[in-house]
Amino acid sequence: MPPTPAKPAQTKPQQSVVNVKLLLIGNSSVGKSSLLLRFSDESWLPEDESAATIGVDYRVHKMEVKGKKVKLSIWDTAGQERFRTITSSYYRGAQGIILVYDVANRQSFDALPKWYSELETYVSPSVVKILVGNKVDKEFSRQVTHVEAEAFAQRMNSLFIEASAKTNVNVNNMFQEVVEKIMDTPELWDPAHRGEGGSQNTSNGNGGMPGGVQIVGLNQPEGQQAGGCSC
Amino acid sequence: MTTELPYAADAEVSLGYDDLEVLRRQYEKELAQAHVTVQTKFNYSWGLVKSPMREHQVEGVRLLQELYRSEPTRRRECLYYLALGHYKMANYDEARRFNALLLEKEPTNLQAQSLLQLIDKAVTREGYIGMALAGGVAAIGTLVVAGLLRRATRK
Repeated sequence: MPPTPAKPAQTKPQQSVVNVKLLLIGNSSVGKSSLLLRFSDESWLPEDESAATIGVDYRVHKMEVKGKKVKLSIWDTAGQERFRTITSSYYRGAQGIILVYDVANRQSFDALPKWYSELETYVSPSVVKILVGNKVDKEFSRQVTHVEAEAFAQRMNSLFIEASAKTNVNVNNMFQEVVEKIMDTPELWDPAHRGEGGSQNTSNGNGGMPGGVQIVGLNQPEGQQAGGCSC
Repeated sequence: MTTELPYAADAEVSLGYDDLEVLRRQYEKELAQAHVTVQTKFNYSWGLVKSPMREHQVEGVRLLQELYRSEPTRRRECLYYLALGHYKMANYDEARRFNALLLEKEPTNLQAQSLLQLIDKAVTREGYIGMALAGGVAAIGTLVVAGLLRRATRK
């Protein structure tokens, strides 16, 4: 009789790849796509050449964190209001959220509470959040101080970092930090811990099916089509 | 650290039935009130284009085409999703045409660039599948004939 197969089953997660889904959110033109482009392609597009994201963009990136192979799927969402319904459908299954503002644009910082309230609606509290102040290369026209933003991040239970996609400051670090924190929170990714964090871990890190669509200003209870079918 | 090519996320992931229903109900409600907002129409056509069902995709493309004509400020996203819709329906010539219009206006648009890669890849794959199918049909034909012959000789 062969020995019980418990041993190999236990060692398997060690070798397998951990799938992590990250979502970039924040006002338009704060540099979400630029941060991703700098991180993934080590390149940067000047402002007149970069196009506002349409709906969502998506990239896969492999890295090693704390001895584990991690496959990141990074969802870069459009910041424009017109894509709000579209982008909100991509929150489900995310283990990390990167909230971006522009340190030289006060408005983008003041909009953060709105973004955090979206998070409350769509993701579980155990999901790792990091607040990123982008464009520190524009130090001369800074409108949000490091101290103020750091205090705000702390209040919102988020990691905090200032970065520049343009001059490549802290871009790798911000991704590294958020993934490390996720790896420190096994209930977010380890099937053995599933259910503890209340977050939906998806099979392949793609986030599976997007979450429920919510239309702003539409307050219909779900499953209302009963009796009103199109037949 | 390595990064794979970007994907057109909306090409692969579709909405759940209930989510599409929410968008459809909103659209039809406004249609009944004889005033459909651009946003509602766009959201619904986006959901339709993402659907795996061909009749949804066809309807989505039709709505997007209307939006493209009526809303100049929404043209870039309409072009993108028109290209995506046609790509999903395997109308690769149409997909390439709409995507090219977007690239013409925004040559460095990375999303349009990666959609173009997807279209090119699909065209190549379709070529291979066509060849494989032709080969497969020939192979099966040979087997059937061989079987018939064997049966005939056994009798």
